[in-house]
Amino acid sequence: MRIKVEDLSYVYSPKTPFEKVALDGVSFTVKEGDTVGIIGSTGSGKSTLCQHFNALIRVTHGKIYVGDVDISSKKTDLTALRKQVGMLFQFPEYQLFDDTVAKDVQFGPLNFGFDREEAARLAAEAIKMVGMDYDEVKDKSPFELSGGEKRRAAIAGVIASKPSVLVLDEPTAGLDPIGKREILELVKELKKSFCKTVIMISHNMDEIAANCNRVIVLHDGKLLYDTTPEELFADPEAVARTDLGYPHSVHIKRLLEAKGVKLDTAALDADSLLEALKRRYCV
Amino acid sequence: MRDITLGQYYPADSFTHKLDPRVKLVLVIAFIVMVFLVKNLIAYAAVILCVVLGTLISRIPISKVLKSIKTIIFLVLFTAVLNLLFYKGDTVLWSWWRISVSLEGILFSIKMALRLILLVMGTTLLTYTTTPTGLTDGMESLMYPLKLIKVPTHDIAVIMSIALRFIPILSEEVDKIMMAQKARGASFDTGGIVKRAKALLPVLIPLFVSAFRRADELALALDARCYNATPNRTRYQIMKPTYRDLIAVAGTAAFIVLVVALNMNFWGAYVPSESLWWLFS
Repeated sequence: MRIKVEDLSYVYSPKTPFEKVALDGVSFTVKEGDTVGIIGSTGSGKSTLCQHFNALIRVTHGKIYVGDVDISSKKTDLTALRKQVGMLFQFPEYQLFDDTVAKDVQFGPLNFGFDREEAARLAAEAIKMVGMDYDEVKDKSPFELSGGEKRRAAIAGVIASKPSVLVLDEPTAGLDPIGKREILELVKELKKSFCKTVIMISHNMDEIAANCNRVIVLHDGKLLYDTTPEELFADPEAVARTDLGYPHSVHIKRLLEAKGVKLDTAALDADSLLEALKRRYCV
Repeated sequence: MRDITLGQYYPADSFTHKLDPRVKLVLVIAFIVMVFLVKNLIAYAAVILCVVLGTLISRIPISKVLKSIKTIIFLVLFTAVLNLLFYKGDTVLWSWWRISVSLEGILFSIKMALRLILLVMGTTLLTYTTTPTGLTDGMESLMYPLKLIKVPTHDIAVIMSIALRFIPILSEEVDKIMMAQKARGASFDTGGIVKRAKALLPVLIPLFVSAFRRADELALALDARCYNATPNRTRYQIMKPTYRDLIAVAGTAAFIVLVVALNMNFWGAYVPSESLWWLFS
């Protein structure tokens, strides 16, 4: 599913003393199969941008096309759009509400018009996909789960209706390292099945470098760069301008280079850095 | 959701914003008393002038202040209609069964409507120009006499300011949860009343859960910083009346004198013409 954003602007509380320009003339295209990382400091407009993709914020200036559908039009079928574009908010565990995990996960599919049986099947599938034991958790209250399990249950609630685009707002925030890795593994799994296009906001450059094939950098509501992680992290000026910092592996590579060790890699993750070092020293 | 009218502080740099909250509270009370004292339309004109001046001095757009009336417009119309139909006046214009419309009734319902509208406009000026913290600090200070009879005024003030502080936080939380459930296909603005009420459950439950969590966290944070309401706490912001407050008090006092004078109808003897009697009755 291709997403095309044209000259998108958004202002919060227009014509009041609280007026704030959140987005200012942003244009880019996300191709099917892309994993796009959206980065930028706090208040740069990342979340505002993402909430446009499934019309949680309606387009006020500019255009967005999801597939061939112009979602800036007033007549857009919101339910169909939201079924297609799944959205996982920051700290999604705070959205759990139903008395059992199974029912909570079925909430989405039922709203999107699946019948009860189908919804139950989709929920079971989603709960298994996020790595939980369906029979064990299905009748538990979501409030009994641990923090990491809650997060996974909430993710199951979003992917249960099989969206073809997934928008993730800091999916790994507040999780331990194992939890983080599991979430990112899950995203890779999803890309192999029904959800080909992923857009994710993150402050963690390691995650962006290792998982995204494209990055979009926002700064004060403006699009600063639309490029690949290789190019972005190879350009010290760009990184400095956005005060985002480097992924750890790129940082190590740069330190080595300063000492005169030239490596033939962009070093976007630890493995590729290691491989490059092996190529150089262990023939 | 953002238009929650409690704690509707409107930031601006004006004379009224800089007044001592205590003075503003007292002046608003004086204003309320004044509005209830008013008897004739000429005196109402003086009160309207007072509100308009107050709004101009506060540098708040008139449209904002007028918006505050929107919430009570139904009440105003309802009382006006009742007064109009059931006021027992001498100059009956139209009557049917027990209902009658009289000239005096028309005047009376206009005055009551004006009274309600002016009350709300005057008091919203206070909430527009004073931060919630300023308000609670001011109230605590004004409750000083109660402290002498062992009423825990400081605790009351802290509870009030925490409650006020939580309103925007919770309304933001409602926004977030609603967005998240909408993303899962929930719809809050379709269907009948029962369906809409049911649709709110997925919002209310997480909201309560998070409100309790926040309250717990806040209690812990207060404990961790050894907070307790000891008698001699110092303050970050100390309220101090200045020359501005003196001017404000003098101005309001002048208006009260004017209203009382107009009420007592010192001009009674000089009614310019008989056809203007309704202005002075």
